[in-house]
Amino acid sequence: MGLPLFRPTQDPGPSFLGLTEALGVAPEWGPTASDVPHATTVIAVRYAQGVVMAGDRQATGAYIASRDVKKIGAADRFTALAISGSAARGVELLKFAQLSFEHYEKMTDTALSLEGKANYLSPIIQRNNLSSPLPVLPLLAGYDPTQRAGRIFEYDGAGGCYERYDFATIGSGSPFAEGALRLGFQSDLDLEAALELAALALYEAGDNDPSTGGPDFVRGIFPMMVVLDAAGFRELAGDDVGERFRRINERRAESRGVAGGALR
Amino acid sequence: MSNYFYVSPEQLIKDRAEFAQKGIARGRSIVASLYDRGVVMVAENPSASLNKVSEIYDRIAFAGAGKYNEYDRLREAGVRWADSMGFTYAREDVDARALANYYAQHLGDMFTEGQKPLEVEVLVAQLGSDLRPTKLFRILYEGTIADEPRFSVIGGDAEVIRERFAQAVPEVVDLATTLRQAVAALAGPDRTIPISDLEVGILEDRGERRTFTRLAPDRIAELLGEG
Repeated sequence: MGLPLFRPTQDPGPSFLGLTEALGVAPEWGPTASDVPHATTVIAVRYAQGVVMAGDRQATGAYIASRDVKKIGAADRFTALAISGSAARGVELLKFAQLSFEHYEKMTDTALSLEGKANYLSPIIQRNNLSSPLPVLPLLAGYDPTQRAGRIFEYDGAGGCYERYDFATIGSGSPFAEGALRLGFQSDLDLEAALELAALALYEAGDNDPSTGGPDFVRGIFPMMVVLDAAGFRELAGDDVGERFRRINERRAESRGVAGGALR
Repeated sequence: MSNYFYVSPEQLIKDRAEFAQKGIARGRSIVASLYDRGVVMVAENPSASLNKVSEIYDRIAFAGAGKYNEYDRLREAGVRWADSMGFTYAREDVDARALANYYAQHLGDMFTEGQKPLEVEVLVAQLGSDLRPTKLFRILYEGTIADEPRFSVIGGDAEVIRERFAQAVPEVVDLATTLRQAVAALAGPDRTIPISDLEVGILEDRGERRTFTRLAPDRIAELLGEG
């Protein structure tokens, strides 16, 4: 690859997507074969100081393709991107988003706003989903340093970007997770309560959706849990997450698997 | 019919070199040096937004002296080159030496074939890792590339500043001392540079992927105070 110099009229600016197109190394967004690993549940919940996220670890094809996929990634210091749908396209999108935000920052010496990041992904998702049988639906959440609050952006299949002020879910286990979240969500949750609610909602999804992996006590593989606040992105340690799910599991064992009556 | 006057190649090169040198001499100089934990780049720059020192990649930094619009275009090309390389292959495959060579080729081409030579000198610094050594590459307006062992100076007064810095800092020392001596070398014996006119960037491992930091004025003052 030579030195990418452009005339001012053809310059792609700080957009990494524009650059890959100008250089001819842009990913192919067109239609390809289906039958690829997919299915997921990822949850984002706003709380008083930021956002918490929880995501299962299973990739499902005709069989379980992988048990330890990480579906939530740090797009930059204050932003996380979670993926559902086609694993290949999702992983590509995550890599592309990370590079795009960093590229913008280096080119312009300023970080892109959280809303700018959310909007940047819209046409990429649109182009992929309208032309391909491999749809990808991400969930963008982050801490907005200018608003000093956590913010969540979800997308529809056509790339439409919508801000959510409470919580959002993506993936095949969404209906079950959403049910738990709707009952348990309150505005201004504290961190501990938000983590508890997110874990419970993910447990529900894993319990009911065959394509969402629940806590795997045999292998010691637990869902991924992430906190985004003024200090940035941090992932909870495996032991911490395991302990949370163990407690939920014990409560369920006591009630013989009955979840109804109260949030437990 | 128009008249063509014969100009010898020697004269042509000499004229172009003089032209480029004059342009570069109008700008302020930059000192880049290794210190015990990384690489520091010190520039005299009255502007807080038109940077001379910038991040290219995880372990690569850039400094440009001369005409801002010309070296900033090279900086942009460097960021684009590095991000595209890392996207196509892997982050660890992005090597400062390859980038320095491209800069050298481009500056060389512009010097001989361009409408006018670029009035810039650039520095590419790489912080060492298990894969690669710490390096400073200095590329001049006509494409000469030098791989400098411990420190490097670019810009108008490069020779004088180089002498001063070499005498003051004969070996690799800590950041505060290196910075203080670099500022002294840039200023010379007869003046002092206010902290607001200093732009300082460092490459240093902090346990994160990206190693470049632009030092805030408070931090610069603190380092100059203790150095």
